[in-house]
Amino acid sequence: MTLQHFMDTYALDLLRAIFVHLGYVILCVSIGTVIALVLAVLLTRIPKISRFIMPVLSVLQTIPGIVFIGILFLYTGMRPRTVIIALSIYAIFPVLKNAYSGILHVDDKYREAARGCGMSQWQMLFSVEFPLAMPSIFVGIRMTTIYLVSWTVLAAMIGQGGLGEFIYRGVGTNDNRLILMGAIPAALMAIGLGALLDKIQKKLTPRGMREPEQSTQQSQLNAQEGEI
Amino acid sequence: MPWDRVWEHFTLVMTALGFIIVIGVVLGVVSYLYPKLSKPILTIVDVMQTIPSLATLGIIMVFMGGNRRTVIIGIILYSLLPIVRNTNSGLNGVSPAVKEAARGMGMTRLYQLFHVDLPLAFPLIFTGIRIAAVTSISVAVFGTFVGGGGLGTVIYQGIRVSSMRQILFGTAALMAMALLIDGIMGLIEKRLYRRIGLQMPQE
Amino acid sequence: MIEYRDVVKSYGGKPVVKGINLTIQEGEFVILIGPSGCGKTTTLKMLNRLIPMDSGDILINGKSIKEQEPELLRRNIGYVIQQIGLFPNMTVEQNITVVPRMLKWDKERRRERAKELLALVDMDYDTYAHKYPNELSGGQQQRIGVLRALAAEPPIVLMDEPFGALDPITRDSLQDEIKDLQKRLNKTVIFVTHDMNEAIKLADRIVFMCDGKILQAASPEEMLRSPADDIIREFMGKHVQRVHMEDELTCSDIMRHRVATISPQRRTLECVELMSQREVNSLIVVDDDRTYLGIVAIEDIKDRGVAGETICPLIRTDVPCVETGQHAKEAFRLLMDMKADYVVVVTPDKKLAGIVTKSSMSKAMASALWGEG
Repeated sequence: MTLQHFMDTYALDLLRAIFVHLGYVILCVSIGTVIALVLAVLLTRIPKISRFIMPVLSVLQTIPGIVFIGILFLYTGMRPRTVIIALSIYAIFPVLKNAYSGILHVDDKYREAARGCGMSQWQMLFSVEFPLAMPSIFVGIRMTTIYLVSWTVLAAMIGQGGLGEFIYRGVGTNDNRLILMGAIPAALMAIGLGALLDKIQKKLTPRGMREPEQSTQQSQLNAQEGEI
Repeated sequence: MPWDRVWEHFTLVMTALGFIIVIGVVLGVVSYLYPKLSKPILTIVDVMQTIPSLATLGIIMVFMGGNRRTVIIGIILYSLLPIVRNTNSGLNGVSPAVKEAARGMGMTRLYQLFHVDLPLAFPLIFTGIRIAAVTSISVAVFGTFVGGGGLGTVIYQGIRVSSMRQILFGTAALMAMALLIDGIMGLIEKRLYRRIGLQMPQE
Repeated sequence: MIEYRDVVKSYGGKPVVKGINLTIQEGEFVILIGPSGCGKTTTLKMLNRLIPMDSGDILINGKSIKEQEPELLRRNIGYVIQQIGLFPNMTVEQNITVVPRMLKWDKERRRERAKELLALVDMDYDTYAHKYPNELSGGQQQRIGVLRALAAEPPIVLMDEPFGALDPITRDSLQDEIKDLQKRLNKTVIFVTHDMNEAIKLADRIVFMCDGKILQAASPEEMLRSPADDIIREFMGKHVQRVHMEDELTCSDIMRHRVATISPQRRTLECVELMSQREVNSLIVVDDDRTYLGIVAIEDIKDRGVAGETICPLIRTDVPCVETGQHAKEAFRLLMDMKADYVVVVTPDKKLAGIVTKSSMSKAMASALWGEG
């Protein structure tokens, strides 16, 4: 099979796989982020209990995604739902962890100023706490997105499509071209999404909060734990 | 037989970790000594970690075939970032006063690097090593797909034969290994920081 | 009008505010002061319900604050804190108009208000409105903090050590500005500080608190003249004495007694010799019974002196001169105004008593302030 022929054969499949892959990632990151933010807000309101909950969550986060998919698969079978649930659960952790610490580390002086201005709890949350925690939340979303591009490769393990399909088939049939056909777009997708999110974050961060390059670096120094 | 897999996983990680430490610290030092190189090095290492590990493994497999070596290289590429970055920022973080004192005493650049900068940056480098170790344990799970064995094999087989017991065994072993290594290294780390805190450089 | 009625607050069984009664008139600038832990900040924060009181009541214009939603209450009370607390994610304009936004003012009105407020502190709208807090100096930030508190035109403004974190010069000018604003806008201001200087400078009335109780509430003048308690006296220590000093220090208290003198019959070369011995560049000329005649300066000898002649024709009489019983302030004023090196002090019968130099003056002030010797 010539390369030309090869491309002709698989071009459509590849396109479909990319869309499926991207779809899983976007959907699950969205679901996971929403759940994570809600949980983060709840947890920051009960810091005494959260001090025990957060370490447990950190440990849970070290469970590889393959296990989530695997176990869910045993219960819910070979369906997209399995992948979506597993990946969404997995997407919760990094965002939750970062959002929680981001909100918790909002300086109390801003809370006092907000309360002194007569803001209600909700107003304070949306106009002060969330915006100030945003850089940290964004680090979480970025991490989650990149992990999910990686974990979505596993959807193919239970026959649910995505770029993993090419990699599996390639490994199974010893066809290097198939492996590369899955691996390279997956790699580009991860890099591209990472860069895109960096851009978005830069755009969204108000000038007033932009200076400390150090603090993002600091959060990244500690952000590498427990993932793939 | 699953216990063999545990050992297999462990050795896989440790072999990779040895390479990671050497390569990572060297890259970190180079990026510190030649600030011009620091951005490209950090970017490349960062991108390495961005690429899905299964994709990395697949690409390496194309060149190296499906075996342990492929997995080890995959782990190395994936886990370099924390060590390179922490080495770089650890060395850059050494107080300028200390560096000036060292230069003032007539130390050569290399002498200063080994006798002043690196020892002072070591706790932070160690933190990088700890993070890399934990990351490696997770990445090694993918080894099974390119014929590298390890605990991934146990879990994957469990999924295929619908054996919850096997999945849980694999997961538990994996987490135990991660927590144990993280815990032990965490303890060492604490002592390192305390020691540096106590005997701040006067020599 | 604000009335505190038997207000009590304790933390974990430990009473912090022990039954405060205080009435504050509209337009009054009241300063709460006292040693740390005296309950002044708690007293302040109970007014806008940032801290709930245990018992008692606070009425604003006859209406209990307990009957109002805390959020609504706070929107009608300006609040400035020491750490400034400008929201870093908002521009200066957004920060200023936080409360108006919550009160649903329309955009146009908010902008107008922001312009108006910035003009109050001489900050140009176009230059500053769209900056972020981290692009301003500390003093500018706190100006914006004050404007934020004033934005919705609250009749009452609370300030919790608002200038504590600023450098002395900035603090001084902000104090002037705030006092001026308060007068112009006729706001009721309640202001917490531990700095007596600040209190004396700003307050219409100082409320001195200690251990959860009010020890004295009086005008600065009255508190300085007759502090009700030793703790207050101690707290104001130096300020009390300053009043003292201004009243009673005379020129003779602050002068130097040992002065290099010379008789008018001496000759120029002797005079120069004497100057170089004493390391001075002028000498006070007195006759035999120490009657003050004037001074002789080295420049004059150099310019017009003739060797071997007496110094008589060179005597100057245009040196500032005060009498011993005169206010020390007078000597100080002369010293500053005339840019002279010293002021000559004479007794009522024109005998030389001493001179006042800058250093003799600071020595005297130091000993008046700190009782050293």
